[in-house]
Amino acid sequence: MTAQEVRLCGLLLREHFGEVVEKVGTHLLRGGAQNLRIIIHETGVPLDLVKKSLCVLVQHGACVFSSGRKGAGSPTEYRTSCDRILRILRYPRYIYTTKTLYGDTGELIIEELLQRGHMTMSSTVKTVADRLTQNMEEGLCMDYGEVSNAFSKLVETHFLQRSTPATPGTPAAPVSTAPPSPESFPDCYKVPHMTLVGRGKRQLCSEDGEDQRNAKRAKMDSQAHGDEGICWQVNFERFHLHFRDQAIISAVANKLDQTSSEIVRTMLRMSEVTTSPTATCTKPLSANEIFRSLPPSYNIARPIVDQYLTLLVDDPMEFVGKAGESGGGMYVVNLHRALANLARATLESVVQERFGSRSARIFRLLLRKRHLEQKQVEDFAMIPAKEAKDMLYTLLAQNLVQLQEIPKTPDFAPSRTFYLYTVNQLPTARMLLQNCYKTVANLIERRLFESRENKRLLEKSQRIEAILASLQASGAEPEQLTEVEEMITATEKQQLEALRLHINKLDSAENQVDESIFLLESYINSTASTS
Amino acid sequence: MAGRGGGRGRRMMSFSVEAVCINRGESLPPSIQQPTPLFPVMEQKPLPLTGGEEAEYLLALKQEFRGAMKTLPFFIQPTAAKKDVERYSDKYHSGEQTDGVTDWSPEWKRFPKELRVKKPCRNGLSAVTRSDKPPLGQNNNNNKTDKEEVLLKLETLQKKEEPSSEEEEEEEKKKKQEEEEADGEEEYDEEEFEEETDYIMSYFDNGEEFGGDSDGDMDEAVY
Repeated sequence: MTAQEVRLCGLLLREHFGEVVEKVGTHLLRGGAQNLRIIIHETGVPLDLVKKSLCVLVQHGACVFSSGRKGAGSPTEYRTSCDRILRILRYPRYIYTTKTLYGDTGELIIEELLQRGHMTMSSTVKTVADRLTQNMEEGLCMDYGEVSNAFSKLVETHFLQRSTPATPGTPAAPVSTAPPSPESFPDCYKVPHMTLVGRGKRQLCSEDGEDQRNAKRAKMDSQAHGDEGICWQVNFERFHLHFRDQAIISAVANKLDQTSSEIVRTMLRMSEVTTSPTATCTKPLSANEIFRSLPPSYNIARPIVDQYLTLLVDDPMEFVGKAGESGGGMYVVNLHRALANLARATLESVVQERFGSRSARIFRLLLRKRHLEQKQVEDFAMIPAKEAKDMLYTLLAQNLVQLQEIPKTPDFAPSRTFYLYTVNQLPTARMLLQNCYKTVANLIERRLFESRENKRLLEKSQRIEAILASLQASGAEPEQLTEVEEMITATEKQQLEALRLHINKLDSAENQVDESIFLLESYINSTASTS
Repeated sequence: MAGRGGGRGRRMMSFSVEAVCINRGESLPPSIQQPTPLFPVMEQKPLPLTGGEEAEYLLALKQEFRGAMKTLPFFIQPTAAKKDVERYSDKYHSGEQTDGVTDWSPEWKRFPKELRVKKPCRNGLSAVTRSDKPPLGQNNNNNKTDKEEVLLKLETLQKKEEPSSEEEEEEEKKKKQEEEEADGEEEYDEEEFEEETDYIMSYFDNGEEFGGDSDGDMDEAVY
C-alpha cells in the first residue's frame, strides 16, 4: 500500500460510505491485520460505529476477517486491501459494459449488486423488477422470469459469481494468509433452483387489479425462495478480461483496419472459455476454424483471410503469432505481449504530451535501443546537441530515464566511465501508475473543494427545486412558478452553471484516468504472474 | 579523495565536466534564490477530455451511483456533535438520522459474532453520552426507565428533549413527584445525594422548573 493508494482509497470510502468508514478503513489499510479492540483504541471511534463500519466493509468485500494469528481462541482479525476499494473507480465502466452486452436488465442487476456488495438472487431479481417497472409505462409490469433469465445469463458467462460461503469462527479453519477465493468452491457458477414467480410492483398503484396483486405479493414475500444463504457478487476479474480484449481489438482496429480487428475479435471470442485468466497467449486456433467462425456479415474469401492473418503476424506489434502449420496455420493471440505494447504506448504518449514530440522521440529511441550514450542519443534522434542534452536532463529529473554507469577502471573515475541512458519499462510503468493514483486523488479533492466552496449556493438551488417540484405537483399557476424561479438571480444561475461544468469535467477526468490505470495495472499484473 | 578538489583551490566537480558536455564557454544555469512557484508554467497544454456519448453516459452513471450510495444504509453518519444550545427543532432532527441506519440487517452468518450490534442506538447523542457514564449500574436503570419515560411523555405532553440519560431519570422521577405533589424537592435532593450526581447536576439547564434548586447547585459547584 503506497501512500498515494491509501489516500485515494480514503477519499473513495469517504464519498461512498461516509467519514466514519473512511477513518476505520484507512486505519486498517495502514496498519495491516488488526483485531477489534486495537481498531477502537487507535481510531478513537465509538464501538457501535466501528462495528457498523466493519460490517459495511465486509459486506462490500473490502475487508476480510479471519481467526487470529495466535491460533483458535484469539480474537478475529480484520484485513483490508487497496485493490478492492480502488475498483470503485471503475464501477461506471462495469455498469456500462453490462448495458451494451445484456441491455437495461443486466445493467440494473449489476448496479444493484455493486451498490449492495452481495445479495441473494431472489432479492436482486425483486429489486430490479421493481425498478424496471417504475420506468415502464402505466399498466406494464416487469416479469420476474425475464429478470431471472438475465441473471442466469450473467452467471453463465461468469460475470457474476457466488460469494465465499460463510465459515466464521470455525476452529478447524486453517489460519492461512490468503483467504479462499470464490473460485475455489465448485458451485461458484451454479444458479440455485429457486421458486420465484411474480411481477415487479410499482410504487404507487391505485388500480384494484394491482392491489390484489400487491396483497398476493405480500404473502409471497415472506416465503422462502429456496436460495437463502447463497449470495452473489460481481466478478471483477471477468470484466477485466473483457476490457483487456476490447483494448486489444480497438488497438488492432486503429493500427490496421476494421477487418483485421474482426478477425482478432473472432479469435478472442473462440478462446474465451479455453483460456485461463493468467495465460500468456490463447490456445492455438487453426485458420480453418477462424474462417468458419467469422461473423456471416463478413463475406471474405478464404485466401484473403489467410493474407490478413499473415499481415497480423508480421506486424511489429506482435498481437498475433503463428504457432504451427497444421490446419492451414495455427495462430495465437499474444496477450501479455499485447498488454506490454499497450502499456508502452501509454508511456510514450505520456512523455509526448508532457514534454513534446522531440522528447518523445528520445524516449522511444531509448526504449528500442536500450542503452545509449549521450553522443549516440544526439546522433540517432537527429536533434542538436544542446537541446538533446536539455531534454535528456529533464527526463532524467522526472525519473523517466535512468543513468547507468559502466566503469572502465575499478575506481569509477568520471573520465574513465561510460554513462549510458536507459529506460526500464516496468519500473517506469509502476511510477506512472502511482502518478495516476495521485492524479485521481487530486481530482476528487478539487471536486470536494469546489462543492464545499459553493455549498450555500447548491443548497439554495436544491431547496428551490424542491419547492418548484411540490408546486407543480399540487398544480400551481405559471406565475407562481416563475416567481419561485426568480428567487435565484442571474449571476447565481451563471455561477451554478460554471460549478456544474467544473464538477462534470473533474468527474469525466477521473473516468479517463481510470482507463490508463486499468492498462498499467493489467500490464504490471501480467508481468508479476509470468515472472 | 575528499581533499583533492579542495586542496587545489580550483572549481572542480566530482564528475568529469566533458562527459556531461558543459563546454568551456558556458556557465552553469543561475542559482535559484527562492522556492519554485507552486504551479509552474506549462509549456505543453494538456489535451481536452474525450467527449462523446459514452463519456457522458459514464459520467451520468458515476454521479447517480454516488448519489444513490448516500441514501443507502451503508452510508454511516458520524455521531452528531454536542449541541451548544438545546433547540426546539432537535426532536424533529433526531428522527431523520436513525431512519436509514436500521434499514439494513446483514446476514449474520457471514459476519463474525463480535460485530453484531445488539441494540440500535435510539439517538446519536444518547450513544455518546451513554458511553461517557462510567458505572454500569446506571445503564441498567436507563433500560428500565426508557419505557416508563415514553409513557410519561405521551401523558404529560411536556418536555421533549433528552440531553442525557441521567436527566431522563431525574425528569421522570420529577414528574411523578409533581403529580403526587409530595415533597418533590426533598426527594430530588435525596436522589441527588444517593446517586453521586454532584457534578453532573450542573448540566441540567432547565431553569423554569428548578428555580429553587439552582441556588443549591451553585453552592455545591463551588468546590
